[in-house]
Amino acid sequence: MASEAQPPGGAPRIEHGDEAALVARARAGDRAAFGVLVERYAAPARRVARAVLDDPDDADDAAQDALLAALVKLHQYDPRRPFGPWLMRIVSNAATDRRRRRSVRRAEPLDPNATAGGPRPDVQTERRALGERLREALAELPERRRVAVVLFDVEGYSHAEIAEILGVAEGTVRSEVFHARRRLRVLLADWKEEDA
Amino acid sequence: MTPELTPFDHRPDAALGAALRRALAPGDQAAFVARVLARLEEARGTTWHGVLARWARAGVAAAALIALVAGYLVGRTPRASALTVAEALIAPPAQAPVVEVVLASVIGSER
Repeated sequence: MASEAQPPGGAPRIEHGDEAALVARARAGDRAAFGVLVERYAAPARRVARAVLDDPDDADDAAQDALLAALVKLHQYDPRRPFGPWLMRIVSNAATDRRRRRSVRRAEPLDPNATAGGPRPDVQTERRALGERLREALAELPERRRVAVVLFDVEGYSHAEIAEILGVAEGTVRSEVFHARRRLRVLLADWKEEDA
Repeated sequence: MTPELTPFDHRPDAALGAALRRALAPGDQAAFVARVLARLEEARGTTWHGVLARWARAGVAAAALIALVAGYLVGRTPRASALTVAEALIAPPAQAPVVEVVLASVIGSER
């Protein structure tokens, strides 16, 4: 189940035993152990929050709130289960709460070189432009769909784990990932064709 | 090459995953971790027991200071002239008793 998905070159999955020991230490008040957990999970937490929130600062705030909330709730964590999905559920909820509180979503300014006109952009700019388009495409997807595809294709969680994180049936996760991929792959394919 | 698209595909899409990873790439990791840990320390200091602990330290210091000052002042103040019961009984009367009262009490006790 947990070993179902493992993205090539993706987020390294953490050994459960090692993780359980760290969590136990953090739960006992060991701040250094909590620091290690924060270091390990900061990047995935920020990416998942970013999948929900457009604004990177908002996403970082949500990820920070989630990590601190996780420390407070550590006594609720079942050490027999993997820590990642439990934490990602808190992150996803924190980001969703923050998005709901935001009445106006701030738009990131587009890189003028990435839009039409101007000289042919270099690779760095091309990547930035693709990133921008992917973020825009993600933003058009329903929230659950974009979180599902990020958790599956970027973070390497299994359908079952994502179902647990999002609190929905596994079949719903499969469907959400399928629809998100269909939209995003078109974008990616178009980009590759343009690039060729 | 893009793998076949099906809802039953349980394998992550490496190309899409890498593109999304770049698109969602967070900023400075070390700065973020430092910020979270600093916020944690800050939050720890503002919990109710943290506040009480800070007040307790100040309270103990203030109480010790007050006790010292009070002790010093009490030590310096001359003792009040309040008499104990024993002193009151053996002390010479401030004024001589009235003669009639003395006689009346003597006559009364002889009857």
